[in-house]
Amino acid sequence: MTKILLRDRLDDCISRWHAAGLDVIGPVSKNNISQFDTIQKAGELDFGIILPDRTLKDLFFPQTEPMFRYRIGKQQIDTEEYLPPGRQRIVFGARPCDVSAMAIDDPLFGWDYKDTYWFKRRTETVIVTIACTSADEFCMCTSLKLAPDSPQGSDILLRPLEGNRGWLVEELTERGRDAFSLIEGLLENATGDPLPLAVVPVKFDLDACREWLQNPENFESHFWKEISMRCIGCGTCTFLCPTCHCFDFQDEGDTYTGIRRKNWDSCSFALFTMHTSGHNPRSTQSARWRQRIMHKFNYFPGKFSLNSCSGCGRCTRECPVDMGITETLQEITKLSK
Amino acid sequence: MSIQEQYRKRAAELLASGEVKIIIGYGAGSTPDRRRALFIRSADDASLLHVDAACDANLSGYLVSEGLLSDRKKVGIFLRPEGIRSVNILAAESQLDPLQIVIIGFNVENGSLAALQGSGVNDFSSLISTLKESRSTPEEQALIEKIEGMTPEERFAFWQAEFSKCIKCYACRQVCPMCYCKRCIVDNNQPQWVHTSSHTLGNFEWNLVRAFHLSGRCVECGGCDRACPVNIPLRLINRRMAQEVLDAFDHFSGMSHTQEPVLASFKKDDPETFIL
Amino acid sequence: MSEPFEPKIVAFVCTYCTYAGADLAGTSRLKYPPNIRMVRLPCTGRISPMFILKALQKGADGVLVSGCHPGDCHFTHGNYHARRRWTVFRALLNFTGIPLERIRFSWISAAEGVKFAELISSLTEDIRKLGPFDQYKAMIHETETPVSL
Repeated sequence: MTKILLRDRLDDCISRWHAAGLDVIGPVSKNNISQFDTIQKAGELDFGIILPDRTLKDLFFPQTEPMFRYRIGKQQIDTEEYLPPGRQRIVFGARPCDVSAMAIDDPLFGWDYKDTYWFKRRTETVIVTIACTSADEFCMCTSLKLAPDSPQGSDILLRPLEGNRGWLVEELTERGRDAFSLIEGLLENATGDPLPLAVVPVKFDLDACREWLQNPENFESHFWKEISMRCIGCGTCTFLCPTCHCFDFQDEGDTYTGIRRKNWDSCSFALFTMHTSGHNPRSTQSARWRQRIMHKFNYFPGKFSLNSCSGCGRCTRECPVDMGITETLQEITKLSK
Repeated sequence: MSIQEQYRKRAAELLASGEVKIIIGYGAGSTPDRRRALFIRSADDASLLHVDAACDANLSGYLVSEGLLSDRKKVGIFLRPEGIRSVNILAAESQLDPLQIVIIGFNVENGSLAALQGSGVNDFSSLISTLKESRSTPEEQALIEKIEGMTPEERFAFWQAEFSKCIKCYACRQVCPMCYCKRCIVDNNQPQWVHTSSHTLGNFEWNLVRAFHLSGRCVECGGCDRACPVNIPLRLINRRMAQEVLDAFDHFSGMSHTQEPVLASFKKDDPETFIL
Repeated sequence: MSEPFEPKIVAFVCTYCTYAGADLAGTSRLKYPPNIRMVRLPCTGRISPMFILKALQKGADGVLVSGCHPGDCHFTHGNYHARRRWTVFRALLNFTGIPLERIRFSWISAAEGVKFAELISSLTEDIRKLGPFDQYKAMIHETETPVSL
């Protein structure tokens, strides 16, 4: 017998989670943008959107966060460390691509230095994922060998039932089971027909692309200049990418007292690689775009055996000049044939 | 022959005759309703060009790409009237030589495409004068008036809510033809005028700096507003600032390639009602 | 009980006129409130709007920008340029909800020690009535950055 979570029980579930001290977070559309936000009632959640404008990484790796405060005295330097607020959280209604992206970044944030900020938030958060039953023309999870119901990174996977009445519950991890034991009595022991999954066509040949990217001859290919000619060098694709994880440090304050913050940074920016001398090893936008593609589909898989892309398609969806990973990998697929 | 066909033919002729070395136009995008910048160097590729109501990007920013104009050769470019005004400003600010630019002009009025006659910036001066006189009321005028009717606290709260969404991707800056500085003021850290962090204060400061630097230079092509991935209504600020320079100094940006930049010129009798 | 609110006002002044006017106010033994922190610059043309933003960022409750009367500029037209910039920047501040009572502009010549003292007195009183710039301070507070003013 499987378990079913009915949609009209969701408010009761949220109350139970609140009572147990969990913050409940989900996709919310407000002020002309959709993103993950803390909610009080189920009605605040927007189940109508395929994917929020902003990604799940906001919850684990915010765009700016304080690391420590410093005060430089005559004798010594005092510092006071900031850590993420220790709140237990449950994310309800993330999508498999966004959640897979968190699983993709786990090895990155833990391979040599274990990133305190990332892992503190990861272990404090239970993720309830809803499988996709619809997709748009930019979705490309299948091209990354993922699927509209990929379980990677999820603690609970929900499959929407016919008539929008609720979800079939699949408990995937201990943490997920713990969170759902809090709403034990609210789940139905029943079964139902899940809606068919979204159909996401495969858009490029990932293995062929990897092979092409690995060939050193292609590093200086004219292709990179052609494909990135219209790139304007903004950070939209990187900041709205669930797996992009580059950051910069910034001290704010004055000479003697201030705060060190960790801010998102982007390989699309010329300043990203600018040396103090004024020399810039990635001096052109084509070199920067090549770096982004190489990092995601060659260097990262070389190190972690994972592609640093989960196929959410936001890069193409949001690009001001209609570029994106899909187009580039489609072109590379053509070149490799 | 449709306008698109005429323009493809013209682009092919310009390239075939060697008058221009490259055409910056629009090609098909990743979805049927999207158009993207297309750069063609061969007359054979002219058939890839698209001109229709979906061509909304102001391509003039590509003209100041590093090295493009340094060989003194001519470049052909598809531009709407706002784009032509941008070229005028870039010329007035010594960023390019207008004689190097061959304009293939078009306009979209009420959703339908219209061809514009002419090829040099001066050919469009009467059109731009008309635009100044018949400055249309945008759809968002009601919203601008609503904002102006608010108390300062309410206005502050409105913009705080909008700017708090900003992620400092700088798409607004990168897409803007007027933002050609080699190093933007926010990328300087000695001195560091505004916070580079994307907290609300840093975002607020950045957006004020951006709007100020575009005052009297913005042509309201809407590029920043469309580019913003978090949907901040930048057009409202741009519109308000364009109105301010028009009201205070009778300045309509991009009138000609010799127009003096509004904040680098003055009149002795400029209004000064607010100065104590 | 907390201390009564004392406004912090940053003044950006040109050295030839307003700074000299402030000097005259001092040597004439005119009284004005000590709430002003003055920054002396060569000309109003040197006063970038960035300065105003920086003052607010560091916790100012009010800003004064002042220089030579039109026609009196030591560099002949620095203040004409400044005037255009102020017009535009002021409109921008107004549109984004920064109360114009907090950002003031004036012409004060080297001979106008009395005007200087009176302006500082009235400005301080106006801003005292408005109270601290809480909306901006809340934004600063959120950054966790220490406020130096």
